[in-house]
Amino acid sequence: MRRRAFPQIAPVLLVLATGCNGGLEQIAAPTTCPRAFVGICGTVTFRGRVPDSTAGVYVVAYSTFPRGPNELLTFLPVLPQPLPLPGDSTTFYSVPLPNGHYEWVVAAWRKQGVLAPDFSNADSLLQEAGFYRDGADTTAHGTGIVRVNGTGTDGINIIVDFNAMHPISYYFPQP
Amino acid sequence: MRGVALVLALVACAAPLAAQVSATVYGTVRDSTTAAPVEGARVTVAGSSLEATTDAAGHFILKRIAAGTTVVQVNRLGYRAHADTLTLASGDSVRVNVSLAASAYGLEPVIVTAGKRSQLLDHVVASVVVLSDSDIARRAVQTADEAVDKAPGVQFLGGQVNVRGSSGFVQGLGARVLLLVDGVPANQGDRGGIDWDMIPVDQVERVEIVKGAGSSLYGSAALGGVVNLITREIPSGVHARVRTIGGTYADPPYPIWRFRDSRGGLGGLDVTGSYGTDALRLGLTAGGRHSDGYRQQDRSDTWELVGRGDWLPSAATRVRVTGSWESHQYQVPLLWCERGTCDDAGQAYQPFKIDTSIAGAYTRSDKGFFAATVEHTASPQLSWLARGSLLRTAFRDIRRPVGDSGVANRAGFELRGVVHRSDERVVTIGGEGARSDVASDVFGNHSHTEFAAYAESEQPLGSLRTTVGARIDYIAVDGGALSAVISPRLGAVLARGRFIWRASAGRGFRAPSLAERFVSTSAAGLSVVPNPALIPETEWSFELGNAAQLSSRVHSDAALFWTEARDLIEPTIEPGGVQIQFQNVQRARIAGLDLALYAAPFTPRFTTWLAYTFLYTRDDTVPTRPLAFRPKHLVTLGADYRWWHITLGGDFRFMSRYDRVELYPPTDPQVAPKVLDVRAEYRAGALRMALLAQNALNYVYNLVPRELAPVRTVSVTATWTY
Repeated sequence: MRRRAFPQIAPVLLVLATGCNGGLEQIAAPTTCPRAFVGICGTVTFRGRVPDSTAGVYVVAYSTFPRGPNELLTFLPVLPQPLPLPGDSTTFYSVPLPNGHYEWVVAAWRKQGVLAPDFSNADSLLQEAGFYRDGADTTAHGTGIVRVNGTGTDGINIIVDFNAMHPISYYFPQP
Repeated sequence: MRGVALVLALVACAAPLAAQVSATVYGTVRDSTTAAPVEGARVTVAGSSLEATTDAAGHFILKRIAAGTTVVQVNRLGYRAHADTLTLASGDSVRVNVSLAASAYGLEPVIVTAGKRSQLLDHVVASVVVLSDSDIARRAVQTADEAVDKAPGVQFLGGQVNVRGSSGFVQGLGARVLLLVDGVPANQGDRGGIDWDMIPVDQVERVEIVKGAGSSLYGSAALGGVVNLITREIPSGVHARVRTIGGTYADPPYPIWRFRDSRGGLGGLDVTGSYGTDALRLGLTAGGRHSDGYRQQDRSDTWELVGRGDWLPSAATRVRVTGSWESHQYQVPLLWCERGTCDDAGQAYQPFKIDTSIAGAYTRSDKGFFAATVEHTASPQLSWLARGSLLRTAFRDIRRPVGDSGVANRAGFELRGVVHRSDERVVTIGGEGARSDVASDVFGNHSHTEFAAYAESEQPLGSLRTTVGARIDYIAVDGGALSAVISPRLGAVLARGRFIWRASAGRGFRAPSLAERFVSTSAAGLSVVPNPALIPETEWSFELGNAAQLSSRVHSDAALFWTEARDLIEPTIEPGGVQIQFQNVQRARIAGLDLALYAAPFTPRFTTWLAYTFLYTRDDTVPTRPLAFRPKHLVTLGADYRWWHITLGGDFRFMSRYDRVELYPPTDPQVAPKVLDVRAEYRAGALRMALLAQNALNYVYNLVPRELAPVRTVSVTATWTY
């Protein structure tokens, strides 16, 4: 009888076995790029007081340093996610990016408000708050070239200083 | 207008026919085993539009039947179909008592949605799923969408219904499925979305789900399918019905995810009273529900009132008036907490907690629905229907920094005639109109008007039953120029022994909702800008299906489907992430297999079923990629065992991971949902008790990004009927 009964309860056992397995699990906050992740990871260290008007701080990457305000929209990812604020003085971040090399990885501070479709109010809403640079860099916008090649690239650490942010007009002065 | 004129002409021509009919058939329908009266059985006269439904005592009466040889058919879900051949003379009044034998698996042989008229399921060219009141009661669910969710090929994503992967997930905007309440369209006027809790689930007698493009009869929104909620008939005499539910939600499986000190609960009460005579039937339902929710900021309260009146001035005429009002206040969890957006306890994410930037968000939503329908059977050959309806929705979102609000209306009317010709041809012809308007701070003040005429003919052609039809819709926005959309459909059914083959090809469309055209708001700091130039999305839908009675205890239904869609409307982020706009961006393909197998392998008391849907999707924008939020595999297994007054059962559903999600980063954790529901039901006389454990294994998962799906919910439902 036991032999005959097994095929009948097999689907039930299968359901229980598969149903008990998996599901979302608790995951401690990461300190390195997750497995199978493609993009960049690192830490953001905050200095200064977070302005009350902050809408968010975003890490984005440019393949080449923008040559003018019109190229400011060429960043990736297309829809960046805000960094956790307020958080620890140092927080881990990860930004998914396609394979390639990136000449400017920048933390952009965004003021509360809605960007005009023609980007006309960008200078009052967006500021550079920090960017990745290698140790030898002394240039204004950094030479920290980052390569992404099918995996997560760790160690892209950025310092965000809320007391030393720069508007777009700092890089591209209005005529 | 031509359709209206033709209907009027048909009505006029029918008057002489009415004078020829004279016989009456009446009787009682009982269960062959228990001899108990069978309520809700549909009694029809073959080859005509005459039909009646048995009351609580199992009684029915059919008047004005043509003299001669007549076949009277009796159908009821859960019973084998029955037919009697009668020879009636003019002036006869014949009593027919019918005993129906229970069927191991519930096939509903007569449906009303696929062809806008009563027709045998075997004659329908599309795939149809029917859920009976006993299916719904056995599942002990709280709302109609929970009952529809487990149907083969149907899936809900974040509250949005998908039939064979039609809709994906677009935050509730622009449903590609049409909702009907007793045949009356009930999609919202502004967003085009669906309010599933508009009718208390206890008042739903059955649900018919027609899969594939249904625009040839139903027009816009019926792009992926049609769901018809059919409410209960009001029985004769004085009756009452009380349904109460109570339950609890499971705690998070890990202590580090705990977000409250006590368990959350839910509860609800519906009370229905009705009074019916031969000529007048009135029913009123009042109810309310409360839920603490299974996650942070997830409380909800619902109050509803539903009334209906049927006036039957003659056996051939029915006037039905339905009204419902519902008020729903609910907190809005929106997005779960990710690192740093709440007290994350050092976790990468906290699925039971919310992002504190949306703390305090809630919505108040009020809906009112009114419909009036007149149905008249002028003769055995001709029947007609006229209806009018109004759906009014109002919402107020309380969110930071500013909330939204709006009021929308959708008013509609329809005139329809059905002609049964002597050569078994059935012609359905009609005209329909609807006007939607909205006044909102996010959608502006706008209107949308549709006029349509349609016709469909079903006729035998050798051993085939063929269906040919088309509909033309004229659409105008804000009183502007009319644009036309034509939706033809062609299909055939072939019965061969145990197998019934069906094939169909049809064109579907969906006009952009007012919300998609005119939304103007901001989301996550991005401007969401209007696009008045949106055009309707269209598709060609093909299907080849087979229903097979493999043995007395095994039945299957399978369909291969193929859909080619153009100009699909999707939210699109402009390069640089400055603004979001709805655009006609996609050419897409959805193809696959839809399979359902029902069996009673050991005894008729034990029924099992398997449903499997395979989806192949392709978004033909460059680069080619899968459509977002469409799982490749969707499997449902179910079983029920009936013993004495007790039924034990369960459903298990597996869904594969998406190949692609949209608008969210690919870092969102995803798992393949595996959800088990178990239930027990006890029936004794007027009392029915049901115990339900939804997601009994407490599988923690999400179907849309950063939105936790329900955890284990244990509830007890008690229903008392007088």
